Amino acid sequence: MADDVKLKLKEIIIAELNLEGKSPDEIDDAAPLFGEGLGLDSLDALQLAMAIEENFGVQVPEGDEARPIFASVNALAEHIQKQA
Amino acid sequence: MRIFVTGIGIVSPLGIGVETTFDGLLAGRRGIGALNLFDPDGCRSELAAEVPGLHIPEVATSSDIDLEGWSRTDAMAVLAAREALAGARVGEELPVDLICGGTTAGMFETEALLAEMHRDPQARRPLSKMLSHPLSATVDRLQEAVRRFEQARTICSACSSGANALLLAATWLRAGRSQRVLAGGADGLCRLTYTGFSSLGALSPEPCQPFDRDRRGLTLGEGAAFLVVETEAAAAARGAMPICELRGWAVGAEAHHITNPEPTGEKAAAVMGAALRRAGLAPGDIDYVNAHGTATPLNDRMEAAALRRCFGDRLASLPVSSSKGQIGHTLGAAGAIEAAICALVVERGVMPPTAGLETVDPACALDHVRTARAGSVAAAMSDSFGFGGSDAVLVLTRPDAFAPPAASSPRRVWVTGAGTVGPFGVRGEHADYVAPGSAPPDGPRPFEAKDHLDLGRARRIDRAGRMVTVAMEAAFGRDAPTDTTQTGAIVGAAFGAVDHCSAFVHRVYEKGARFASPAAFPNLLPSSPVAHASIYHRFQGPVFSSADLGATAEGAIVTAAELIAGGEAEVMFAGGVEEASPITEAVLGPLCSNPQAEARGEGTVVLRLAASTPDPAGVELVWSHAWRGDVDLGGAPAPSGPARVFVAHDDDAVAAALVGSAWAEVPRAAAAAQAGGHEAAGGFAAAAAYSLLRGGDLVEALVLGLAPDRGYAFVLRVSP
Repeated sequence: MADDVKLKLKEIIIAELNLEGKSPDEIDDAAPLFGEGLGLDSLDALQLAMAIEENFGVQVPEGDEARPIFASVNALAEHIQKQA
Repeated sequence: MRIFVTGIGIVSPLGIGVETTFDGLLAGRRGIGALNLFDPDGCRSELAAEVPGLHIPEVATSSDIDLEGWSRTDAMAVLAAREALAGARVGEELPVDLICGGTTAGMFETEALLAEMHRDPQARRPLSKMLSHPLSATVDRLQEAVRRFEQARTICSACSSGANALLLAATWLRAGRSQRVLAGGADGLCRLTYTGFSSLGALSPEPCQPFDRDRRGLTLGEGAAFLVVETEAAAAARGAMPICELRGWAVGAEAHHITNPEPTGEKAAAVMGAALRRAGLAPGDIDYVNAHGTATPLNDRMEAAALRRCFGDRLASLPVSSSKGQIGHTLGAAGAIEAAICALVVERGVMPPTAGLETVDPACALDHVRTARAGSVAAAMSDSFGFGGSDAVLVLTRPDAFAPPAASSPRRVWVTGAGTVGPFGVRGEHADYVAPGSAPPDGPRPFEAKDHLDLGRARRIDRAGRMVTVAMEAAFGRDAPTDTTQTGAIVGAAFGAVDHCSAFVHRVYEKGARFASPAAFPNLLPSSPVAHASIYHRFQGPVFSSADLGATAEGAIVTAAELIAGGEAEVMFAGGVEEASPITEAVLGPLCSNPQAEARGEGTVVLRLAASTPDPAGVELVWSHAWRGDVDLGGAPAPSGPARVFVAHDDDAVAAALVGSAWAEVPRAAAAAQAGGHEAAGGFAAAAAYSLLRGGDLVEALVLGLAPDRGYAFVLRVSP
């Protein structure tokens, strides 16, 4: 179950943020998504929050509350499973 | 030579007319309320600054005008234009040119249809309701309902469009290309921008609070403003009294991010400094700043930082206010409305407040005008910053306050490269586009971005932006630029990203505003492809788009040449981009452009124009002309050696346009069939002309771009 969510999340990240040429297994579950890691920024966070709500029916909070949730694929998956 | 403002017209959320608007501003009245035009369900706000009492049938006074093709944007523009011309006492007998900035034109009127066209291809028919959709529709309505204009230009640099319209007008006047210009901007509210800004988290649920510690974003508004600007000599000849002087202007791109401002304010400060230098003024001469002040956390902090960099110690006692707490952010109109406000501040010696500002953000510590403040204002600055990082700054002064600015003569303009993306693949210099035959000799080569771009850096750029970015690289040719601080670009599309707009609004209608795509929204603005390309290549000169139906690319080239001649940039990449577009093919093309026989493909073209050339005998742009209505090429310099006329389509209109000119008997070459049969084909013709001139086959070429009721022409010549 958790692995299904993570795989779907990675597919969403690649499709929504247009990471052409990347495959889900190249994204580390624990690696930071923003700044260093994948190098995503605030505009990507907005797109991901929208796509997560669309695909999982789960809202992602904004601002400071969102920071730990967007920390990694692991953290996002945990948030989704808690809310679902 | 001085440039005078002799007339002002404003339509704002505070009311229709200069006096209603300025009185409201001084009284601290806020034109912000519940959004009525459409249902904001699912958005982060339910508020907007709407123009009250706007009735399109009352604006289009003549009964033979078909209102189907009118938008709220058009109606606001017509009202503001009439007021400005009447105030300036400019009658029909005096020639006037027109420049209009905007971002959405008839989007509000056409977005339901666009959503339907996305759902059902059968709905893609040339309905007259779609006439208001092209960005250039507003200048067409002005021409129809206000008066005849000698030439008209439509530009977009997102939220600095209105300011850049005035900048271009100043460039024309200073170069003697025009005596009198009606310049400004107009933009109506629509679902696309409202849901788009909402998706970016940029809309404040409360009326916006510029520079406040607790500010939560912007309030969207709508409106229009036009200024009549003319040379001192033209004003004096008719005894017109100046309201103020348009004294300084500058434009530059941040080359940073498609939605976020460059946080240190370094580039914005540099543009402010350049506007002061153009004005011949020092920071200490400025008595008032009308800030961009959108009330987004990022903008206001950046702008305060930029003001600190530009003004230093002077800032402590420099009054600053943002009008957006009262009129909202009027996007493409904002730069024009706020320039008009600065003109009134200078004329009347009273500064409007920043409404909504309660507790000043310590990061935005400025001399904020909290209630209307009287004071002599000899010089005022207006800041405008647009999506994609297009910064424009204007300086307006009291006519008698400063010595006349230094005169300057126009600089020579050279074409130093060309790049195309089309059926032949990606090409630098080439002449294939006018060769006989219809198919590329080595077969079609579809554009594959991955063959040309770093996809990591280009991941936010859509197909149009990628084609533009690659065409520019092809035009770098022998010498890729190392210093891009004075390099800019103007690349337009006849109908913008219409299919992507259609998909975006369809999603909003089907799934709700909560699911509007934040990543897609910035790519829907007409200036998006060129803005993305400027970020990729780090161009920091003037960056904007233009739109003029099937003559868009030729218009962009002429405009870029004007900016180089006027000293606003050293290098400009200019042309057009057209994506494959079912809606353009089925709806907008047949409705608005010349009927085209070919299947419509895609393509982009840019010429590289520069103030100098590395070649001992370079290709010089020696003459250009733009017109509305009947063409007169009598001024075109006669060819003296092997020459050719280059056009998109060689048809009866071309032959008629050339009659009576020195080019009537010159052989012609047409590019459309091999360029891909799209609206940018005239740009491909220009690229082919450049190639043949460089290769020594020709010494002169006339590039002629025609679209209904308008056109552009320029002569290229091999010059020592």
